[in-house]
Amino acid sequence: MSTTLAGILFIGSLLMALAVVYRPLGDYMYRVYTRPSHSRVERAVYRTVGADPDGEQTWGAYARSVLAFALVGILFLYGFQRLQNHLPLSLGRTPVKPDQAWNTAVSFVTNTNWQSYSGETTMGHLVQMSGLAVQNFVSAAMGMCVAVALIRGFVRKKTGHLGNFWVDLTRTCVRILLPIAFAAAIVLIAGGLVQNFGGGHVADTLTGAHQQIPGGPVASQEAIKELGTNGGGFYNANSAHPFENATAWTNWLEILLILVIPFSLCRTFGRMVGQNRQGYAILAVMGGIALVSVTLLNVFQLTHHGTVPAAAGGSMEGVEMRFGVANSATFAGATTLTSTGAVDSFHDSYTSLGGMMTLLNMMLGEVAPGGTGSGLYGMLILAVVTVFVAGLMVGRTPEYLGKKIGSREIKFAAMYFLSTPVLVLGGTAVALAVPDGRAGMLNRGAHGFSEVLYAFTSASNNNGSAFAGLTVNTVFYDTALGLCMALGRFLPIVFVLALAGSLARQGRVPESAGTLPTHRPQFAGMLAGVTVVLVALTFLPALALGPLAEGIRS
Amino acid sequence: MRTQPGLLAPRQLLRSLPDACRKLDPRTLWRNPVMFIVEIGAVWTTVLAALHPSVFGWLIVGWLWLTVVFANLAEAVAEGRGEAQAESLRRAKADVVARRLTGDPDTPEERIPAPELRRGDHVVVEAGQIIPGDGDVVEGIAGVDESAITGESAPVIRESGGDRSAVTGGTRVLSDRIVVRITQEPGKSFVDRMIALVEGASRQKTPNEIALNILLAALTIVFLLAVATLQPMAIYAKDVNPGVPASPALGEHGVAGVVLVSLLVCLIPTTIGALLSAIGIAGMDRLVQRNVLATSGRAVEAAGDVGTLLLDKTGTITLGNRQAAAFLRVAGTPEDELADAAQLSSLADETPEGRSVVVFAKQRYGLRERTPGELTHATWVPFTAQTRMSGVDLDDPKRSLRKGAAGAVADWVRGHGGDVPAELARIADGISASGGTPLAVGEAVDGSARVLGVVHLKDVVKEGMRERFGEMRRMGIRTVMITGDNPLTAKAIADEAGVDDYLAEARPEDKLALIRTEQAGGRLVAMTGDGTNDAPALAQADVGVAMNTGTSAAKEAGNMVDLDSDPTKLIEIVEIGKQLLITRGALTTFSIANDVAKYFAIIPALFAGLYPGLAALNVMRLHSPQSAILSAVVFNALVIVALIPPALRGVPYRPGGASRLLSRNLAVYGLGGLAAPFAGIKLIDLLVRYLPGMS
Amino acid sequence: MRYPRWLRLHLAALRALLVLTAVLGVAYPLAVYAVGRLPGLHDQAGGSFVELDGRTVGSALIGQSFTGPDGKPLKRYFQSRPSSGGHDPMASGASNLGPEDVVDRPGRQSLLTQVCVRSKAIGELNGVSGARPFCTPGGAGAVLAVFGPRAADGTVPRPTRVVSVNESHTPFMASYKGVRVEPARPGEDYAKGLVVPVRGDAPADPAVPPDAVTASGSGLDPDISPAYAAIQAGRVAQARGVPPAQVERLIKEQGRALGFMGEPTVNVLKLNIALDRAYPAR
Repeated sequence: MSTTLAGILFIGSLLMALAVVYRPLGDYMYRVYTRPSHSRVERAVYRTVGADPDGEQTWGAYARSVLAFALVGILFLYGFQRLQNHLPLSLGRTPVKPDQAWNTAVSFVTNTNWQSYSGETTMGHLVQMSGLAVQNFVSAAMGMCVAVALIRGFVRKKTGHLGNFWVDLTRTCVRILLPIAFAAAIVLIAGGLVQNFGGGHVADTLTGAHQQIPGGPVASQEAIKELGTNGGGFYNANSAHPFENATAWTNWLEILLILVIPFSLCRTFGRMVGQNRQGYAILAVMGGIALVSVTLLNVFQLTHHGTVPAAAGGSMEGVEMRFGVANSATFAGATTLTSTGAVDSFHDSYTSLGGMMTLLNMMLGEVAPGGTGSGLYGMLILAVVTVFVAGLMVGRTPEYLGKKIGSREIKFAAMYFLSTPVLVLGGTAVALAVPDGRAGMLNRGAHGFSEVLYAFTSASNNNGSAFAGLTVNTVFYDTALGLCMALGRFLPIVFVLALAGSLARQGRVPESAGTLPTHRPQFAGMLAGVTVVLVALTFLPALALGPLAEGIRS
Repeated sequence: MRTQPGLLAPRQLLRSLPDACRKLDPRTLWRNPVMFIVEIGAVWTTVLAALHPSVFGWLIVGWLWLTVVFANLAEAVAEGRGEAQAESLRRAKADVVARRLTGDPDTPEERIPAPELRRGDHVVVEAGQIIPGDGDVVEGIAGVDESAITGESAPVIRESGGDRSAVTGGTRVLSDRIVVRITQEPGKSFVDRMIALVEGASRQKTPNEIALNILLAALTIVFLLAVATLQPMAIYAKDVNPGVPASPALGEHGVAGVVLVSLLVCLIPTTIGALLSAIGIAGMDRLVQRNVLATSGRAVEAAGDVGTLLLDKTGTITLGNRQAAAFLRVAGTPEDELADAAQLSSLADETPEGRSVVVFAKQRYGLRERTPGELTHATWVPFTAQTRMSGVDLDDPKRSLRKGAAGAVADWVRGHGGDVPAELARIADGISASGGTPLAVGEAVDGSARVLGVVHLKDVVKEGMRERFGEMRRMGIRTVMITGDNPLTAKAIADEAGVDDYLAEARPEDKLALIRTEQAGGRLVAMTGDGTNDAPALAQADVGVAMNTGTSAAKEAGNMVDLDSDPTKLIEIVEIGKQLLITRGALTTFSIANDVAKYFAIIPALFAGLYPGLAALNVMRLHSPQSAILSAVVFNALVIVALIPPALRGVPYRPGGASRLLSRNLAVYGLGGLAAPFAGIKLIDLLVRYLPGMS
Repeated sequence: MRYPRWLRLHLAALRALLVLTAVLGVAYPLAVYAVGRLPGLHDQAGGSFVELDGRTVGSALIGQSFTGPDGKPLKRYFQSRPSSGGHDPMASGASNLGPEDVVDRPGRQSLLTQVCVRSKAIGELNGVSGARPFCTPGGAGAVLAVFGPRAADGTVPRPTRVVSVNESHTPFMASYKGVRVEPARPGEDYAKGLVVPVRGDAPADPAVPPDAVTASGSGLDPDISPAYAAIQAGRVAQARGVPPAQVERLIKEQGRALGFMGEPTVNVLKLNIALDRAYPAR
């Protein structure tokens, strides 16, 4: 079988698997978010928290809860890292230095999981499993909560209430993420992932040398790292490390885990708004963009253009043999199209245009399908913008799902889609203007620029993957990227919730023949077009000076 | 006042040029953030060009200023068109003297200038005089020439009481004498409002326009950011390519200011930013052209959103009156005889129904219309409300004919010794059930009387209404017919006309309740009305169109006034509302789609020297970096001028489903917007390459 | 005592975090660990260690170096892929060098030169051609810095000076566009020249396969391609004094998972263990 055919089958089988779980998982999540009853464990949680599970929150209260939980999470994780030498299972690791601890805390709470540290030498097991991995759960859940609150904004009428954050958070963790992660972790162990609490094992190699092989509770963390579109690796090499991703089929499974919730949430969305076809429309846009992107990425990688890939005879630099170029490209597509940031191969060494695709995927705002929850709400924001322009073109005040898109709604949507470009472009510009920023580049010229652009794109979009040549463990990058991650996560969340509040207050406009149908290919096509054109227009100059400058040969 | 909507003449552009230049004043321009930024850019590049003069620099500066002027021109032209109308209105209200009644028996009347009239004053107006202000006729009846306002030369009747009592200042009494109670405050007359409206002085941004402005502002910020951050990126790129000599566009200190501003101006949505206010003004103008005055732009926009249209049956859906549609025989009366009798008995009936019987007899049976004087020895019995019959008594041979309400004629036949067959009741009931009105025709000859047959009167639906309502349905608008008829009749007409629903035996409060229910369901409601009792409903409706013939109360309550008093105008108003939104949406799409090509012109022009590969992006094969940048700027400016006509005329609107409409507009303005600049910039490049400083 | 509202909110958030940490950060990994103790999962969860003669020689999943104390490859062993971390599991990671990293800098070889150097060495070690596109016969990146006036499209149509930037000896080509090519002088900065990689006439599909000349992502890649194993077989056989066919028989090609996932591989550690078992080193 040729590599190309195998690569196509690899993508095709992923699509099939996603199609198979789309309905059951989407329906299940729908029930999780709409059923009134609470389980005993959940009641215990609510009692501890002191929250009334049946009391609903306004958008403001919901947002305050989200922010309070995030703030506590950051402080807790910061303290955890700083004090790790006093805790069990620390493997004798020293405290993480302050700027790196701040960066890492923000990174995990914001679902970015950017790694400015090297897992095997910096973090003890307890920090990994009880600090970082917990945020893998709750930061993913937070995105889903916000997405569900936004959907409720569309569904409900004439109310200020969007649900209860504590209930949504607990249910997401306990009923959705935990069972899937548990099952996935067991399967991953079968594939070769480690799950132990040892400090490492020294092997006497065949040649008589010593090789220290680390252990750790990797499988449990790997499962939620992919499922929650987090991406922070247990080891420095992330999912390229054989203990994080042992075989070609664990690679397949990890991609599936990355994509499964973001795609299936479309079903949940369709069910909640009472029109499955609306979910399919969003799914089609996400799926269409994703498929085109992954295909291009595969093509660029397999044609291995550029000097070094041509010299090597394949884009194998930074790529693991067991995955090969094609499946690595697919993984790279999945991780950058979502807010995952896990890598099973190193994007910095990709072909210029292949690397550009990973960058472009994140620049899309991670909406195809995006992070857990964050992808859906990002896409819905774009749908609001699209509906606005398209709605005007059919001669009516634009409506989406029965809600009028007026100046208040457009204001929040506009602030949403403004926030990431401001951080990405602003951050990159600052980094290029100050010596500390330029100093971190590993590569020179256009590629060095790409490294910086990639770092700010990844941080601001909460992806977490990197053109890893950039030395980011410096005070400048730890601080600046930490800020980008925090603002890139929480500003949009606040705008989304404000929009949800504004939508929920409205009544519902009944559908008529004059209403723009938002479930047809026409609208889906336009939404995809708006997504791509807005991004292209915003980032083309930057891309021209980075990957395009490097990748196009005259 | 109808002005020629016509095409945009170059003369009109020239005439508006001074106005356009006056609008360069930043104090007025800052209201349009997009163009304000262009102006700031133009000022800055002017300074730069003055400090480091070059042909290229000055060319860019010139075209940047032209961009702003063109944008102002669009607005000035739109306003200029209103000005002509305002002028003719001002003439109508010039120097009128009012004859105010004082209530003092000695000097019952005093002459004061019209502008001094206050609400509640009574004035007297006689034939030949101009009515000094808006008000209601409280005494008398008069023919009034309202052509100054409506453009209709046929006089209309205005009388005290009832729904035809309102008169408008500036119109002329042609006959008789009326007393008018003034209902306006000084300076707030109808004509004043109209002038303000057509001049665009009272224009406020409508909700959708505000929302669109927010979106445009956001896009502007994005591009501002993209351009501003390009500078450090460019400096870095230059630094890492020390072997590349500085070019006019890109030097040691990054991208030249002139080029940076050019890029910014090309990217921010200048096209829609320039035309947005002109589109709004022109939209109102189109309404005025159709003799509709909207008191707020919000109402025009709401018209595009209308989900339910309430239409009065009479005059809107049906012709004003019922008409004979069939003669039905009873007890074997020959058809000709029935027709003859029906005609004869209706000759003295001057009601529209009676006339329709005569007309029907002539059209269907070829019966010549006879005049009452033609028959000798005939005593004509006119229709009265008491007898509910009309007819004729002939002496030779002695014969009486009656036509009228079935019950009345039956009684009359019995009174003349005849029998009334059961068939009559059956036929009459059948007609009633179908929504028609049965009129019986009876004959009495020599002491014996009989029923000859029945005339079927029915409402005649205006031609083309069915298609119109079909269109409405495809546009997603529900039509509801309002009628005072009983439900049976109402249903029959509703079915025939093809409306979606009807409200029978409607009282004003029912109408109000219906509007509230529709609104509670999230639909916007439009209606027309003229009577005082329509006022609450007009006020409640989202779009309330008052007939100009109606009462002042109705005109106050509604948010639009139709000077032609044509209830079907509502449909056009809806279309204008939609067209306004479509034009905005289409030009926004066009504006954004344009940017793609401009990138392909400017990015390679800037950076191909640093990174030779980027020359591949120069898909238009433009002559030189300078010519590429200049061509993009020139195209950006010219496209504004090119789009002034569609902005003012509105994007053509064809009723139909939303999907079809969107496909069409996307194809024209989305794909067209992508493709047009590639061709346009290339063409301009072919010309400007011969200018000095282009290589 | 009653706390202000904002403080109560944050205390509630803290309680929520703590209770969720107990469930997700303690109970969950322990439960996975417990299941991982079951037979069938136990070995993998422990680290897939492999033993030879009773001693743990490494993990089947973790690649290692088969070099001598001098860093030179031991001829009797199949060689792993290059690793940017020297196959140290405590320093996993990749080179992160870009696809156009073609100019050597003081103290750091460009990625192109690394590829060329490896290719040449592997070719020599295994008796095949080490030639590659964009590589000089001497095993460096074939890259010129071209000086001269730039055209509008950024190219240098009429060079005045040409330097082979990665070679300090006789350049791989004598002249470029009619200008003599100079060797690079150490310490001289050629940043002002236009960088022009020269393809040369090596086949696009060189004898030494791509995985042999590129560093893996983890630096711990346990596998090589069957093609790389194939070119090594003869050399290993020779070193061990056995017929090549017998060595080739030990090469266990691991096909794609389910027939379409990943690429066919050969696990180097397992192969070398099998070799040591079958033909213990003399």
